[in-house]
Amino acid sequence: MKKFFKSALARGLLWQLVGTLVGGGFVTGIRAVMGLEALGRFGFSEPAWVFGGLIGTLTFLGGSGVVSDWVKWARGIPTHDHHEDPPGWEKFINVSLDHKVIGIQYTLTALIVLGLGGTFALIFRTELAASGLQFLNGSQYNTMVGLHGIVMIVAILLGIAGMMNYLVPLLIGAADMAFPRLNAFSYWITIPAAIWLVSSLFLGGFDTGWTGYPPLSARAPVGMQMFFLAVFVVGWSSILGGLNLLVSVARMRAKGMTSFRLPIFVWASIATSLISLTATQLIGLSFQMVMFQRLFGMGFFDPAKGGNPVLFQHLFWFYSHPAVYVFILPGLGIISELLPVFVRKPLFGYRWVAMSSLGIALVGFLVWAHHMFTSGMNEYLRVPFMYSTLLVAVPTGVKFFSWVATIWGGKIETPTPMLFVLGGVVVFLLGGLSGPPNATVSTDLHLHDTYFIVGHFHDTMFGGFVFPFFAALYYWFPKATGRRMNEFLGKVHFWLMTPSFLVLTLGMMRIGLLGMRRRISDYDAALGFDTTHLVLTVAGFLIFTSVLVFVYNLFRSMKKGEIATGNLWNSRSPEWQVDSPIPAHNYAQPFEVVGEPYDYGLPGSKFVEFAKPKP
Amino acid sequence: MAHTNQSEALRLGITIFIFLALLTALEFVVALALNSIPLLVVVALVKAGLVMYYYMHIYKLQQESGGGHDSYEYKTGTNRLGLWLFLLSDSFVFGGLLVSRFNLLGFTRPHLSQVLGLVVTVVLLVSSFFMNRAETQMAHGNKKGFLGNTLVTILLGAGFVIGVVGVEWQLAAAEGIRASSMVDGGIFYMMTGMHAFHVLTGVLFLWIVYRNARKDVYSAEKHWGVEAATVYWHFVDVVWIFFYPALYLIGSVA
Ligand code: HEM
Ligand SMILES: [Cu+2]
Repeated sequence: MKKFFKSALARGLLWQLVGTLVGGGFVTGIRAVMGLEALGRFGFSEPAWVFGGLIGTLTFLGGSGVVSDWVKWARGIPTHDHHEDPPGWEKFINVSLDHKVIGIQYTLTALIVLGLGGTFALIFRTELAASGLQFLNGSQYNTMVGLHGIVMIVAILLGIAGMMNYLVPLLIGAADMAFPRLNAFSYWITIPAAIWLVSSLFLGGFDTGWTGYPPLSARAPVGMQMFFLAVFVVGWSSILGGLNLLVSVARMRAKGMTSFRLPIFVWASIATSLISLTATQLIGLSFQMVMFQRLFGMGFFDPAKGGNPVLFQHLFWFYSHPAVYVFILPGLGIISELLPVFVRKPLFGYRWVAMSSLGIALVGFLVWAHHMFTSGMNEYLRVPFMYSTLLVAVPTGVKFFSWVATIWGGKIETPTPMLFVLGGVVVFLLGGLSGPPNATVSTDLHLHDTYFIVGHFHDTMFGGFVFPFFAALYYWFPKATGRRMNEFLGKVHFWLMTPSFLVLTLGMMRIGLLGMRRRISDYDAALGFDTTHLVLTVAGFLIFTSVLVFVYNLFRSMKKGEIATGNLWNSRSPEWQVDSPIPAHNYAQPFEVVGEPYDYGLPGSKFVEFAKPKP
Repeated sequence: MAHTNQSEALRLGITIFIFLALLTALEFVVALALNSIPLLVVVALVKAGLVMYYYMHIYKLQQESGGGHDSYEYKTGTNRLGLWLFLLSDSFVFGGLLVSRFNLLGFTRPHLSQVLGLVVTVVLLVSSFFMNRAETQMAHGNKKGFLGNTLVTILLGAGFVIGVVGVEWQLAAAEGIRASSMVDGGIFYMMTGMHAFHVLTGVLFLWIVYRNARKDVYSAEKHWGVEAATVYWHFVDVVWIFFYPALYLIGSVA
């Protein structure tokens, strides 16, 4: 406990509270002096909450100490590059510059946030189990749905950041990321953001769903502003994380690691980071514009002042479509990374797979308006966006083709990580197949805003993120801890989650096709959806249970797991050629790349060669 | 800059400045006389290209940085890439604002003071010239020259912010262009506000570098901090190269 109260986390949170009160109090004071309404329904007035939130975020950063080296630089004081962490668990709640610690911090935070988002889902899923209103009112229901969506997105962003941070420097043979302090900053800034996100629950909530479209978002309660603020702040984490990763890969690769000898996961991370680096700014901008519209009456999206609500959707989807590839590209990279290990065959079409990530990312920038076919945007835009969207299926298909061809004729082993890889492939296939009907204007006019869409994107996100994320956790857990996770519990997790999940999303698509609208708290019993909804709710609870099994396994294995310090999976990748866990600053001896990364099963072939230790 | 001597660098800086000044004048005349949008776009692109090449030294991104991965030189190369990626990211904000401006206002523009617009533009342009001088002096180990030129840049930057926020905003408000009036007001304050915020951070950055230079933190060989502040400052200028015509010159007054 004492260690907690002295940690960077505790200090940051305390300072966040202080900063928020001071910032909010300052605006309240000014408003009182100017004769404006000083207080609002939630204590502070809306401007006071926003300003307080901003100041609180900054004081969190100051208080936690994550910016102290930069402050020293600004004052002309040099700092040490090498930096030691305390040995125990407390390094995870203190500022560390080690990319592996930061990766684990991201991952643990992602799991916590994932659990939170899942809880929100169970709450509104329970409400939907029968027609009629059970225990939520309309605005509570809306807040739950919206929070579920955005909290899960944050969880995914944290999860991919966790994987990329932990793995990429190891895979390319770097001692750390290019900018370790920026890396720590990118992680720590998500904590105040997560708090603002949840705070919206207590500030009237918001009823727009995760998309925050005006005009509704221009008049929702104060919770809307906290939602915007939180996403804005998380956005910076994404931007700076992406920047850091791109620079690291460009500048810190081991000798001999040319473009086409980079592990596929690194290619996927590059593609992801290019999107986060650039497109994220536009969701930030669009949210900022709604915030200002609410605070200062600026008329951007207010038709009465000559504004245009559809402009918001363009800015929003210009990020949020590419963002869905941010969610999945790392996961698809994990699939390509692990498949060859478990079928003991080379990855089929390495170059094509590497390029397909970039292809998906680039084409992904040209398709955003497929979310807006019914928005009232100019009609002549529909067909071009329909075709550009269908074009994304090509590079995505390349990946599938490679996976299938890699599996073909291989000796398949199915330990838990491989199960999740295979599950991911199947689920992502369903997601991918349900995409083109949404992209085709004629069918989308019917499907838009129904549960079919909800089924579609859950399949893509589970197949592209959740399954591979679990695969990665089971696979690299021994690398991080020196112990392996329990296989039996892992299999329980998989076999409980996968069928429940398929029932859930296929059921969603079914009622969606029959006309069930999304984001609606009630439905007419005459539609005959009661039974299906009940089944979906049960499936939801089963998925949650399976995740609890996972969490139990995780904590149990940290202490009691079977010791596994060697090359457990018989992998060619450099991080498995040294003992687990890997110490700070990674490899004691540098390695050189001397062959192809995925030549599994070819006798005598080598990917990396370590330098001889100096006598 | 190692291959040029001081007077050559000065001459180059002045030449580029003159070009930029002439192009700005051309822009103004084109807008008044021809109102040709393609021409304005071309002029802005040329101006931005000149600044990015001669003042921001974008070509340095390509230079092989010798030395091991731990050398100052190699690390500077890494930092440089990071900074440019940051600017790329940031330019998406400004790009988004430009898109919003044209989506909402089309080819009309708010009724603003042309004289003031030109004055602040020139102030920023001149500041870029002094910034370039400052960096060159640092690269030649002339600390006194660096400090003087940086101080002038900071003052001009502050002058720009005062001109926009202190004077222009008040004038516009008096004309009825308020944040909460029609959307041209919203766009005007959002664009100038976002840009002024960047100028302010640039001034802060320069001030930090100025103080550190007085403490002898930098040398002719090692002054990444100075280079970063310089590049950032010119970037803010590049943004204005696009915002100025978008707000003051393109289209007709609503
Ligand atoms: C072949 C690939 C895909 C196609 C053709 C496709 C197409 C579409 C289309 C057209 C929509 C809009 C439907 C509507 O609202 O009426 C949509 C929605 C969505 N898609 Fe996909 N998609 C594909 C893959 C993905 C992937 C890989 C992901 C994410 C990981 C994803 C996530 C989403 C999400 C989150 C939405 C709903 C957004 C919302 O309105 O809340 N999609 N998809
Ligand atoms: Cu999309």
